[in-house]
Amino acid sequence: MGDLLSPDLGLTVWTIVTFLCLVGILKAFAWGPLLKTVEEREARLKADREGAEKARAEAERIQKELEAQMAGVQAKSKELLAAATKDGEALRARLKAEAEADAAAIKAKTTADLAAEKDKLVGDLRKEVASLSVMAAEKLLHKSVDAGVQKSVLDGFFKDLDSTKKAGSN
Amino acid sequence: MNFESILAHHLVDHKTSHKVIAVVAGLPVDMGLSPLIRTMWIACGIAIVALTFAARSESSLARVMRSMFEPLALFVRDEILEPIFGHHAGHYLPYFLTLFFFLLTCNLLGLVPHMKGVTANPWVTAGMAICTFGLIQYAGVKEQGLVSYVVHIVPGGVPLILWPLLFVIEVFGMFAKCISLCIRLFANMLAGHVVSLAFLCMIFIFAEMSKAIGTGMIIPSVGLALFIYTMDVLVSFLQAYIFTFLTALFVGGAVHPH
Repeated sequence: MGDLLSPDLGLTVWTIVTFLCLVGILKAFAWGPLLKTVEEREARLKADREGAEKARAEAERIQKELEAQMAGVQAKSKELLAAATKDGEALRARLKAEAEADAAAIKAKTTADLAAEKDKLVGDLRKEVASLSVMAAEKLLHKSVDAGVQKSVLDGFFKDLDSTKKAGSN
Repeated sequence: MNFESILAHHLVDHKTSHKVIAVVAGLPVDMGLSPLIRTMWIACGIAIVALTFAARSESSLARVMRSMFEPLALFVRDEILEPIFGHHAGHYLPYFLTLFFFLLTCNLLGLVPHMKGVTANPWVTAGMAICTFGLIQYAGVKEQGLVSYVVHIVPGGVPLILWPLLFVIEVFGMFAKCISLCIRLFANMLAGHVVSLAFLCMIFIFAEMSKAIGTGMIIPSVGLALFIYTMDVLVSFLQAYIFTFLTALFVGGAVHPH
């Protein structure tokens, strides 16, 4: 085994020469193309990754924009809905007020008409009664009364009647 | 039986030719070829052919091979170099990828029958450690400049009087790191071969006592040897990673002194 450790400088020199030649040969023929392939692939992967990241950022930006637009649309729709509700309520209140006013006017008019009709009917009835009364009185007295007398009698009669009616109602 | 001679036969390299080109410190630099050097070249040839085919061909087999090599290359780049070198990783990447695949191929080829355990030889791992030492100096000078690099060998805040002493210690430390790299790889790869052979030799050792016991030892010995062999496959990957990682760490220390 002593031979194994006995100096062999020639072997050392051959090793150095062989190894350095191998470095040069492999650098020229193997590592260049191999590392070029690796670097190209890495560059491609890097570009793909950057492209994907860019696309993702773009997609996120678009999503944010859409969300912002959606929020705007929702806010606007809420606003429109509120305005429509308000308008509707105002319209309803206005229509109700108008309807109530119309109803009140109709009621007042009807009341007035009824009162006028009543007064007219009462007036007619009075005349008829008076006429009948006069006719009855004529027959009782067997004498005719002229129109002027009849009128003054009737006026006096109605006057008395009204005062009697007022006194009775009080 | 002589276990040591069997071990030496399998692990020790023998020159098949001699060509001394220089003598350093009384030691000849014999550039003669040997089975171990041829195994190393075969490992280099396999690495060149496999990696070049995987990198350049568009066939389905090449794609399969590429899908095997790419994760390893990306592991070296992303897990070892980038944490240490940062944006300088690309400059040193070919060296470290070659280092990792060279060591891995040599480690694995050492497990193939009739091949030598290249990385189980201390003079091979010494050569790799020298390359690491050279890379540390190159990277330190390149990134910091010569003066700054030499000044920063000693950590900042050291009293001036201690500076020369610490400089010597740090320089020795630099050598020690490389020597530790050399010994770690050599010892780990050698240990697998030694233990595998020891388990197989148990058959013959027990057979010298009794043939029946020797026969009975065949299954447990071969089983244990196979287990160690499987472990060696894992150790091959692990040691290639450790050598590459520690080299990156040491070079990173020279590039970023703080």
